[in-house]
Amino acid sequence: MSGSVLLRVALGLCLASFLALTTFIVRHAIDEGEQARYAHELRRLQTLDSGLNEAVLRARSGLLLQYDPLVAALGELHRLEAALRQAPRFFPKSAADELSARLADWSRALKQKEGLIETFKMENSVLQTSLHYFPVLATRIIDRSRAAGDVTAFAARVQNLSSALMLFEAGGDADATGRVVRAQEDVRGALDAAKRVGLERDAEVAVAHARVIVERKPTVDTQVRLMLAAPSFQAALRAEETYSAHYRAALNRSVVQKQLLFALALGIVVLGLTEVILSIRRAALALSRVTDELRVANEALAEEHEKERLRGELRNRFVAMTSHEFRTPLTAIVSSAELLESFGERWDAERRLDHVQRVRQAAGTMQRMLEDVLMIGRAEAGGLRPSPSPIRLDEFCRRLVEALEHSTKKSHVIRYTFLGDPDVTMDERLLQHVLGNLLGNAVKYSTPGSEIHFGVRTTADECFFSVQDHGLGIPPEEMPKLFTSFSRATNAQHLPGTGLGLAVVKRALDVQQGTVTVESELGRGTTFHVAIPRRLATADITLTPP
Amino acid sequence: MAVDGKKLTQSRGCLRALAVGLVLAACRSPTTTEEAPGFEPFTTTTDQPIEPLPLEEPVNRERATLGEALFEEPLLSGDSKVACADCHHRDHALADPRPLSRAAGRPDSPVNSPTMYNVRYLFKLAWGARFDSLEAHNDALMTNPNVMASSWEGSAKRLAGKPGYRERFQRAFPDGLTPANVRTALLEYERSLVTPNAPFDRYLRGDAGAISERAKSGYGLFKAYGCASCHQGMAVGGNMLQRVGVMRDYFADRGKVTPPDWGHFNSTHLERDRFVFRVPSLRNVALTAPYFHDGTATTLESAVTLMARYQLGRELESDDAELLAEFLRTLTGEYRGKAP
Repeated sequence: MSGSVLLRVALGLCLASFLALTTFIVRHAIDEGEQARYAHELRRLQTLDSGLNEAVLRARSGLLLQYDPLVAALGELHRLEAALRQAPRFFPKSAADELSARLADWSRALKQKEGLIETFKMENSVLQTSLHYFPVLATRIIDRSRAAGDVTAFAARVQNLSSALMLFEAGGDADATGRVVRAQEDVRGALDAAKRVGLERDAEVAVAHARVIVERKPTVDTQVRLMLAAPSFQAALRAEETYSAHYRAALNRSVVQKQLLFALALGIVVLGLTEVILSIRRAALALSRVTDELRVANEALAEEHEKERLRGELRNRFVAMTSHEFRTPLTAIVSSAELLESFGERWDAERRLDHVQRVRQAAGTMQRMLEDVLMIGRAEAGGLRPSPSPIRLDEFCRRLVEALEHSTKKSHVIRYTFLGDPDVTMDERLLQHVLGNLLGNAVKYSTPGSEIHFGVRTTADECFFSVQDHGLGIPPEEMPKLFTSFSRATNAQHLPGTGLGLAVVKRALDVQQGTVTVESELGRGTTFHVAIPRRLATADITLTPP
Repeated sequence: MAVDGKKLTQSRGCLRALAVGLVLAACRSPTTTEEAPGFEPFTTTTDQPIEPLPLEEPVNRERATLGEALFEEPLLSGDSKVACADCHHRDHALADPRPLSRAAGRPDSPVNSPTMYNVRYLFKLAWGARFDSLEAHNDALMTNPNVMASSWEGSAKRLAGKPGYRERFQRAFPDGLTPANVRTALLEYERSLVTPNAPFDRYLRGDAGAISERAKSGYGLFKAYGCASCHQGMAVGGNMLQRVGVMRDYFADRGKVTPPDWGHFNSTHLERDRFVFRVPSLRNVALTAPYFHDGTATTLESAVTLMARYQLGRELESDDAELLAEFLRTLTGEYRGKAP
């Protein structure tokens, strides 16, 4: 049974782990919606970052005339910054912390970039105004100075400055810077000339705007360079890489978890099936055991019933037989007694004696029958006890033969032999029952004149008796019930008999610890072999009822 | 045994179904999520420096109406004497006609109260750009002892004592009158204050006759002088910072510099931010005189003249100031179908 308990414990463990794992998996399941949103937002950081760079470059080159796109993109980035703060729920804490550190790096980079952009917007607005205005102003100054008759002194310098500024804006290398500085000096040095043609206000404005361009262009370009170099894009990329790595790890974990879950499910199925099969087998075994028990009980019952039936049958036969067997000698007694009563005085002595002898013979027959019945009854009630005494076996047997010869008037030839030590200790009365019946049967079931061999032999421990006749023989099918009460062979029904003789033999031998065997050939004769312990003790003999 | 075999098959089937079901439940087929339509911040509708305002913004009417009542409700202030509308006058396009605002029992406001219209489009709030969001600005004004001298909690408590508010909040919010909901309602109202469909917006959208020829000339000057370098975007400003006095020292010329003139410096304490202000939106500018943080310019013409001088380093010529003012007047939009 310990195997079965183990199996159930294993099954229980499997089920519990399965449920626990299922709960765990469901709770830590990768929410595809959440993951898609998060990954999308992380990618969007990079898209917006690139977009910002592009928009700034466009604004710097005058292709974008407003800053709303920059403001909107930064606003969107700040919205994403807040949205990304909550790491996906399927991330373990360590992963969430790492991701949050990467995002913090990115936030710092973004803040830096935002500061650069704010400065850029301020400076760029001023620079663009001057860049656009200076050529217009220069043209006007030149026109006016031409109109005033001054072409060389002032207008040429302004023209020169205008060209230098355009070169400076276009390239901005050391040569261009040197040239624009010199051109500025020239214009400032020609302010008197400007005054002469009444353009001193315009000249001052031109100088101021030229200064704006010379001062602000490097500033703006530096802002743009710094902004382009700001590590926000790389930081966003690293955040996304970190996220992807942990997402892959979570995916792998979930695959392993699902494999484990599958293995557990398989284990549950296998263990469950084993349990089912075993319990079915146990049930089948229990069923077959009960069936066996029932069958045995049934058979015992049937046997008992058969025995009871046989017993009833035997009793019926006994009643039938005894009523017949007892009636015959009784009739003989009654008729002889009546004859003696009616005619006794008139009959001679011989005839009277004849009838008296008939009465005696019949009474003797009845007595023997009665003794047999009583003996069987005692034996069956367990009341038959041997009472052994020392006897001389040869003499006892000889007397038995003589008595038989006398009672049968020597109808058969009885050949009696004795071998061995005749001094034995036996129950004379029981021995009388055994041998008397066997010899009587031999006489009864063989034709008169035939020979009957009665052999006795003693050894140190046992006495062997054999009684052989040359009579009817016993049909083989009758052999099994040969020694049961009231049983008579089918080929002996026509002969008088109670069916008690061999039953008496068997019971008498049983209580003496003796055995009887029989050999018989139908129509050729029968031999009974009897063996009885030579020295019979009384104390330990207890007869168990059959 | 036939019966046993059948039972066996049944139990095997049941176990398999159980296992398969549980495994399927645990695996859960991944759900595909549609990505929200991407907000594209880099698109512009025109090639102009100025964008028309959106014709509509999503607004929760119930809450905005409630917020409107709160905007005029003195119970919001700690002493129940000052309402938002005391400095943002309904009859002055929610701005203050006085150079510096003055509320009952409060010292003079250090700066001119600007209009509330289109605040939702401003990238930072307050003249000095101290606040990054309307929420932060409202929170600060609410607790500022020189303004509302209150708190959302205190306001909610006082409002609860006045009949009607509980019911109105109950209608607008599932959890009724709470400090957070007072703030939400007020903000909803402020964000509902948009003025689309200005003549200039109609012009930008293709209606050539929406503005006069003089205004069109004004718009040309607006770009040519360089005003549009800073006053750009859909709010015509409000999306960047700029130093006041780029080309000439405005404060030296005006004199009497006080801390409110330091602008963004007051928030960052960085020297480079001194005199740096948020470029104000020019939407509805014709209705919101006086101008500048100090309220010193009383007319559009004087304002543009000063701006040209100090910011652009130029003196406006002939009637350019009038033309520019003409253009600026086309920036007056509609609020609930009428002029704000």
